[in-house]
Amino acid sequence: MQSFSNQLANLPTTGVITSAGEHSSIAELIKQAQEIRLQYPQLCQHSIAISYTNLNEFIAALIAFDGWCSAIYVCPPDVSISDEELIKWPLDNAIAVIDSTEEPPKSTASDVTQTTWYLATSGTTGEPKWFSHSFLSLTANTKYSHRLQTLCWALLYQPFRFAGLQVVLQALLSGADLVDVVDYEPLVQMAFLKHGGVTAVSATPSLWRQLLMTGQLSELTLSHITLGGEIADQSLLDKLQRLFPKAKLRHIYASTEAGVGFVVTDGLAGFPAKWLDDCSLSVALKVSDKQHLLIKPSHHLCQTLAQQTDAQGYVDTLDTVKIIDDRVFFLGRSTGTINVGGNKVHPEKVEQVLLQCADISQVKVYAKKSALLGELVVADVTIDGPSIREETNQQEVKQQLLKLCKNQLQRFEIPTKINIVNNISYDPSGKLNRKQHD
Amino acid sequence: MTNLEQQIRQTMQQVAELSDCQLVDPIDADTLLLECGLDSLGYAMLVAQLEEDLGFDPFTELAIDTYPSTFTELLAIYQQCASSQ
Repeated sequence: MQSFSNQLANLPTTGVITSAGEHSSIAELIKQAQEIRLQYPQLCQHSIAISYTNLNEFIAALIAFDGWCSAIYVCPPDVSISDEELIKWPLDNAIAVIDSTEEPPKSTASDVTQTTWYLATSGTTGEPKWFSHSFLSLTANTKYSHRLQTLCWALLYQPFRFAGLQVVLQALLSGADLVDVVDYEPLVQMAFLKHGGVTAVSATPSLWRQLLMTGQLSELTLSHITLGGEIADQSLLDKLQRLFPKAKLRHIYASTEAGVGFVVTDGLAGFPAKWLDDCSLSVALKVSDKQHLLIKPSHHLCQTLAQQTDAQGYVDTLDTVKIIDDRVFFLGRSTGTINVGGNKVHPEKVEQVLLQCADISQVKVYAKKSALLGELVVADVTIDGPSIREETNQQEVKQQLLKLCKNQLQRFEIPTKINIVNNISYDPSGKLNRKQHD
Repeated sequence: MTNLEQQIRQTMQQVAELSDCQLVDPIDADTLLLECGLDSLGYAMLVAQLEEDLGFDPFTELAIDTYPSTFTELLAIYQQCASSQ
């Protein structure tokens, strides 16, 4: 069985993690993981929910529990799971979680089970949706080589999300170093990247633009540049290639739902149309009649996706694409989900908050394109009452709406613009038309 | 101060108030944009509002070689785009 701990143990060399200025070797974290297994043998074969505390403890827990626990739920800090069957990690010592009289397993060094990993994605109602993965599916694209082992990766994504976890696994399993800069502002991030000698960066296009705005990106010596989490536009790809002409530039299409997607390495936006229906690829791709991208990974798919899967095993990614000449370009989410710099915003959730304002009768939340953040949230609202045409009343309503949003929504979810309009149109089926506004 | 510069400064102030950010004072020619008090969402809002008021967005209309780092550089790309309208 190729678990996380087994794979790390078999690497010729392992790297160092730098987080908040502190260095830890992977060897130390492997040791910590072994101690966890020894200290808590009763956790073996149980399902565990790991709450993120800090990078080192998080990685040590992953190493300990993959191949050891039946399931790992990777919990973002704002997500709680009410399932009483799950053991929460770190353990609350005041609570006797399991009957400790259970016979411990004979060896804590070897793996005993195939662990299912669960990652959260934000759902329409605000409740997280959980998608299952295996260590094999999460690491399908990671490998060790002498050259990759010399890299130093930057961690700019939250490690408990799909993209961040990919960076962590890629760095660790290739024997490379990792510098954690997630919690800092761009100028501070840049200082840490320079100080840490970072050579490989994976970030959303929006994060890359922020790094460009520091004016210091060229001071790094980057050999590996990865973009993901948002649509990568040609202008940004060109800028990065000009700045680092020798670097390997790639943009990744992946989704938490379907697991690993695919990588585009030719420096061009979108992906080659010849990949559609090419059965020799590790993921099979096709475009539906609705212009949605369908994807069929080689690994087993999560049950949650059954409704989105066709008879041939293709999953509807719900991403809309357009074929222009010999290229397939991404247009956005067919669900209307707005992508603000890599953060997903469900318009329905924002609309529910706006409708709490007594003066509002109708509301439509939609995306507006942004050259800096990909998309921004915009709201159109209609207001009841004859006096509403007065400018002062309109300003008051906008203030009320903003207050509601600030109390209930995360910053990236709050409409950047609220337009008071006379009416909001619906399509013939009675649904809001959320077509993107340029 | 040109009208354009004044407009950018006023819009920065509006965006800061909308998003509960505090702008640094003063914002000089060489003040780094990332130290002005607006974050990435704030700048995206600034560019969107200016597009609505001015009718152009230099970040999409010009294939800008370099992203602006200072207030002067931001003003310069708006001036460049305005002159080509």
